[in-house]
Amino acid sequence: MIIENIILAFGEVLTIKTVLLMTLGVAGGLVAGAIPGFTIAMAVVLTLPFTFSMPPSQGLATMVSVLVGGLSGGLMAGILTGIPGTPSSVATTFDGFPMARKGKPGLALGLGVWSSFSGGMISAILLVTLAPQLARVGLEFQPWDYFMLVMFALTITASLSGKNLVKGLIAGALGLLVRTVGEDEAVGMARFDFGSEMLLQGFDFIAVLIGLFAFSQLLNDVRDPAQARKSLSEKGAIQARIEHRAAIKEIAKRWTIVLRSAFIGTFTGILPGAGGSVANILAYDQAKKASKHPEKFGTGIPDGVIAPETSNNAVEGGALITMMALGIPGDVTTAVMLGALLIHDVVPSPTFIAEEPVLAYSIFIAFFIANFIMLFLQSGMLRVFILVTRIRMYFLAAIILGFCGMGVFALNNVDSDLWTLLWFGILGFLMRHFGFPLAPMILGVVLGNIAELNLARAVAIDDSFMPFFTRPWSLFFLIVAVFSAAFPWFQNARGKKMWTLFYLPVACFAVALPLAMMALQHGSVPRGVIAIIVVISGAYILWQRWQSGWNLQAHAGPDLKEG
Amino acid sequence: MNRMNRDAWLAVALLLFTGFMLWASFDIREPDYGVLAPSVWPRIILVIFGFLSALYLMQSLRADPESAPEGEEELPASLMGYLVYWRNPIICFGLFAAYLALLPVLGMLLDGMAFVFVLLCALGGWSLRDMAIHAAVAVISVGGMWSVFTYGLRVLMPTGMLIPGL
Repeated sequence: MIIENIILAFGEVLTIKTVLLMTLGVAGGLVAGAIPGFTIAMAVVLTLPFTFSMPPSQGLATMVSVLVGGLSGGLMAGILTGIPGTPSSVATTFDGFPMARKGKPGLALGLGVWSSFSGGMISAILLVTLAPQLARVGLEFQPWDYFMLVMFALTITASLSGKNLVKGLIAGALGLLVRTVGEDEAVGMARFDFGSEMLLQGFDFIAVLIGLFAFSQLLNDVRDPAQARKSLSEKGAIQARIEHRAAIKEIAKRWTIVLRSAFIGTFTGILPGAGGSVANILAYDQAKKASKHPEKFGTGIPDGVIAPETSNNAVEGGALITMMALGIPGDVTTAVMLGALLIHDVVPSPTFIAEEPVLAYSIFIAFFIANFIMLFLQSGMLRVFILVTRIRMYFLAAIILGFCGMGVFALNNVDSDLWTLLWFGILGFLMRHFGFPLAPMILGVVLGNIAELNLARAVAIDDSFMPFFTRPWSLFFLIVAVFSAAFPWFQNARGKKMWTLFYLPVACFAVALPLAMMALQHGSVPRGVIAIIVVISGAYILWQRWQSGWNLQAHAGPDLKEG
Repeated sequence: MNRMNRDAWLAVALLLFTGFMLWASFDIREPDYGVLAPSVWPRIILVIFGFLSALYLMQSLRADPESAPEGEEELPASLMGYLVYWRNPIICFGLFAAYLALLPVLGMLLDGMAFVFVLLCALGGWSLRDMAIHAAVAVISVGGMWSVFTYGLRVLMPTGMLIPGL
């Protein structure tokens, strides 16, 4: 059955038109990734209108290609100019740029390209193997569990995506509120329409996403008139040839870094809210900690390029696992992918892989193939991508704003979507300016309906709110939501306050409780074993801290927040 | 001592917004059917939103009023300074609003070209050379995208009153 589905999915993806669109998608993603200030999410959002008229598998394959291209595009700008194209490539510049300045830009690029490829392939393998397993777990979820899962996704996104948790949570709540405008889905009553026909229809959430993300980002990029007229990057070596053979040899020697970073990337991706911007720094930090020569990091050593580039490409495999298995987007880009699925009347949920196996496998296969296309394009068109960074920002902004207008109109062929784009563009710009992260708001907009529908179902089944606290999965998500909400305080106080020494052990003990409940309720031995392992891990951490004499400095960690 | 900084004013605005939306939520009709009334979910969100806004206000009041809001650059003090600081975004928003208002008159193709051209000139300069380049970029980029949507994706783009059919 699986083989049959895979063959059918190959048939869907391996058509000339789809491969051509994927190649264009990867090229577009690489260009977008290479341009500082032009995020991957923005590239994926802007691709969306083109995919409306395509069959679902073709449209999603194109979007996956943009995603894969975008993840790799950032490394070129980062290595050659020292300016990371995307936040996912920040750590790549720590060693990539010094290596290029030492006269080895070809090796640095080769390491980046092949590490990206390795990370993408490892996470693709994990995606194919883990997504169906996670979906099977997801089948146990009832409305209470789903509601709490959405709350957890919003909380962790809010806590990881900004410097101020309260602002992140406000943004998430605002996203949920925006989704309530218009007729409610359950009984069709008008909400917050204020007598306006446009508000009664509600906001098209793709127009909201494009406005919030793309429109506001462009205005942010041209805010400073002098910067807007400058080329995006005017420094850096452009004469470089990728040294493939030398890079492959270096990477083969450091396969443990590749594996560790790919796992870090994939599992960071699985976690809602924690994207490539976290994974690349985390992988770099871990590579440094595990190295025999940590003092050489930052001087231009291969390990410092391999770790972040492997992990940031592995992230999307992880984010796709959560989206395809549970219907919960792991980050803004997968939120847009989820939107694309909804446009094609496909609702991602734990039954998605079982009910739409050909579409699901075609996404897996597209992810694999896109990595090969990325490798080929990145090697062959390096000069083109670097030349793109010479374009003046205001040209890009004006053209893309024009495109936004057409793309958004194409959604439903109504003018009101264009006004939605404008209003949310203004809102997104102001939110950025006042330091509110956009990712929680976008997740709130995407997940608002799912949360409300599951709350309605939960209340319909049982009018008591106790199942939210007594059902193991619901309790599990509640506990991790609480600990993820406390994470920014932990992060800030780490190494300074005594209570931070107990944060991880207490989290382990708390999470073990619902796991033990699951083990007892379902008679599940693996979950019982996991619960015991988690308790032992918590006890071990506590013992370690006691051994070090409750030394605060010994347990200070890396800063994982976006800048 | 004046404790009100920019974040505090923003928090007050958010609280007022919460109050207004809560008041508006009482206009939502409650049907006799269905288990979860349509006003419940928005009210839950608004209560949380209000609580968070109050928390934000307290956080802002505790912060040093002289310090710049965290993560953001210092803003100009005068109105003129503000206008200069926000010049480009104001131009973009204004031109985009004009583009939407003129859409029924010019149609998507001409309106789009005019929008991109004027925006390019407003952001990049009005010299003859610049204008020639900007015009070429506007015609090629908008014409290309319009063709992709109209002929490639079969999307019916809005036509204008000025030149019917275009």
